[in-house]
Amino acid sequence: MAEAPCWIAPELESGANILYLQGRWRLAHVPGIAAEVAALRLAGDHCVLDGSRLEEIDTAAGFVLLHRLAELGCIARTVEVRQMAEAHARLLTLVRERMAAPSVASPTRHRGAIERVGHAVVLVGRILRAQVSFLGRVGVELAALLRRPGLFRLKETVSQFETVTLDAIGIAALVTFLIGIVFAYLLGVQAQRYGAAIFVVDGVGLAICRELSPILVAVIVAGRSGAAFTAQIGSMKVQEETDAIRTLGLSPIQVLVVPRLVAIMTGLPLLVFVGDLAGIAGGMLIASLQLDISPTAFLARLHTVLPLKAVVVGLVKAPVFAAFIALIACRMGLAVARDARSVGENTTSTVVQSIVWVIVLDAIFAVVLQRLGI
Amino acid sequence: METVLEVRDIVTRFGADVVHDGVSFAVRRGEVVALIGGSGTGKSVLLKEMIGLMRPTSGSVHLLGTDVCRSGEEEMNGLRRRFGMLFQDGALFSSLSVAENIAVPLREHTDLPDALIAPLVGFKLSLVGLSPDTGRKTPAELSGGMRKRVALARALALEPEILFLDEPTSGLDPIGARAFDSLVRTLSDSLGLTVFMVTHDLDTLLSIIDRTIALSTGKVIADGPVAAVMRSDHPWIREYFSARAPHEEGSR
Repeated sequence: MAEAPCWIAPELESGANILYLQGRWRLAHVPGIAAEVAALRLAGDHCVLDGSRLEEIDTAAGFVLLHRLAELGCIARTVEVRQMAEAHARLLTLVRERMAAPSVASPTRHRGAIERVGHAVVLVGRILRAQVSFLGRVGVELAALLRRPGLFRLKETVSQFETVTLDAIGIAALVTFLIGIVFAYLLGVQAQRYGAAIFVVDGVGLAICRELSPILVAVIVAGRSGAAFTAQIGSMKVQEETDAIRTLGLSPIQVLVVPRLVAIMTGLPLLVFVGDLAGIAGGMLIASLQLDISPTAFLARLHTVLPLKAVVVGLVKAPVFAAFIALIACRMGLAVARDARSVGENTTSTVVQSIVWVIVLDAIFAVVLQRLGI
Repeated sequence: METVLEVRDIVTRFGADVVHDGVSFAVRRGEVVALIGGSGTGKSVLLKEMIGLMRPTSGSVHLLGTDVCRSGEEEMNGLRRRFGMLFQDGALFSSLSVAENIAVPLREHTDLPDALIAPLVGFKLSLVGLSPDTGRKTPAELSGGMRKRVALARALALEPEILFLDEPTSGLDPIGARAFDSLVRTLSDSLGLTVFMVTHDLDTLLSIIDRTIALSTGKVIADGPVAAVMRSDHPWIREYFSARAPHEEGSR
C-alpha cells in the first residue's frame, strides 16, 4: 500500500485504462477519495477497475467512483472489474444498478417583500373563510343538539370545565390582582396631586370590571386552554382518532368541539368575576397603604360609584370572547396535518388569532356600547 | 466469524412485571437474524436495550465490542455512528424534507462538503428504491412504505456495520414487503451488513433470514436456522408456524 493516502492509481496497459483501487474506501475517507477521483482523466471511455489492492469499500465511496466514471463517459458496458473480492464486486454492481440520474438540488425560491405581504393577506383571507364555514358547521351541530339533547356529552363537558375554569382560578386571580395594584398605584400618584385620592376607587372599579379583567382573563384562557385544545385535538388528528370517531358514526364536532365550547363559555364569565374581585382587592390594598383610604371607606365608595352596568358589561363580553377562543382553537386543531410540526404551528396560530380577536372584539364592544349609551 | 453483538443474561423488570428473565444470545458478523415472539414478550424493549435507549435491570449487552449498558455518553456516540436503526414508523423528522432527513447523519458526523452530500443523498434514495425527486417531499407527503424506505436510507447513511430493524415490513403490502426483504438481503450480502430485526412476518423469516431467535415468557426458547426452529415442539412456536402451514403445503 502506498505510504501517502493514495486511493486510486491509474495506469495505461496496452491501450486500456487500468484503475488500481487501493486501501480502505470508507465513508470517513470519502472527501479525499472524491478529490482524487475528480482529478481523474481517462483516455477513451473504456476502463478496468482492479481490486487487488482494495481492502474495503462501502456504498458512499463506490458511488463517488462510479458517479465520476459515468461523468467521464464510462457506463456499465465499458467498465470492467478484475481481481476484486466477490463482496466488493457485488457492492459495485449494486451501486451501479441503483445509481440514478444525478439529483438536481432544487433552488429555494426567495420571495420578494410585496409577494410575502400578498401571500400573508391571501392566507388571512383563507383562514377567515374557513373560520366562517366552521362556525356554520358548529351551528348545524348545535341545532341538532336542540332536537336531540341526548347527544350532549355532559361528562366530557364537566371534565373540560374543570381544567378550563377551576385550574385557572389561581393564575387569573394573581394576574388581575397585580394589575389592580399597578393600576391603583399609577392612578393614585396622579390623583393625589389634585387631592382627589378617593376617585381612585371609581377608576379602579370601572377599569377592572369593564375592561381589564375580561381582557386579561380572556388572554390567559386563550394561551392556556386555547393552546391546549389545539394541541389535544391536533394530536388526535395525527393519531387518526378523529377519523376513528367519524367511522364509528359520531361527529367530531359533537364529541370534541361542543363540550369544549360549552365548558369555556360557561367558565370564562366565572373567571372574569374572580378577576373582578381580585383586581379590586389589589386596588384596595394600594389605596389603604398609599392613599390612606381604609378598606371600609373603599368599599363604601365603590358601592355608590360602581354601576352594576359596568360589571354586567364585563361579564357579558366574556362568553363572546370564549366562543371565539374555542372555535378558533378547535378549528386549528382539526386543521392539523399529519405531522408533529403542524401541531406546533397550529397551536401558536391559535394563541395569536385568539388574542387578536379578543382585542378586536373588545374594541367593537366599546364602540357599539358607547353608541347605545350603555 | 467474529461476534458483533452479544446479549448476556438480560433481566428486565417493570415494577412487578418480569419482561426478560435471563435472555442470552450472540450474533456474528454478516448474519441476518430475526427475533420473534408473541406480542408483549418484550421484543422491542430488548431492541431498545441493545442500542442503549433503555437499560436492563441486570445483564449486559456488548455491541461491536462496547458494553452498551456501562459506557458513557461519549463512547456511545462513537458507537452510534457504527449502527443504524430503523424505527417501526420510520421516525422521520417531520420538520425536514426527505433529503434533509437523510443528510442529517452525514452533516453531523462526517466532514463531507455539501456538494458531495447532495448527490450522495440522491444515491441513498435510489439505493432503497426511491426516485431522487422524493427528496424534495416532506415526510407527511409519503406513504407508509415510502417512509420506511426513507428511514432505511437514513439508517444506512453512515454505512453502518449493524442494522437494527423494528418490524420492517409491518404496514406494507405483500409486494412492497417482499421488495423490502430482498433489498435488506441484497444490502446485507453486498455490504457485509449484519442485520438484526424484530419481525412478525413469516414470509420474511422464510425468505431472507439466516437465524431465528424466539422469545417467550422472558426466555429464549429457540435459537437457530429457521428450519430447525420450525421443528421445535414448543407449543408457542408450533402455533406460530401452524398459522402458516396449510398455505405452505399447498404451494409445494
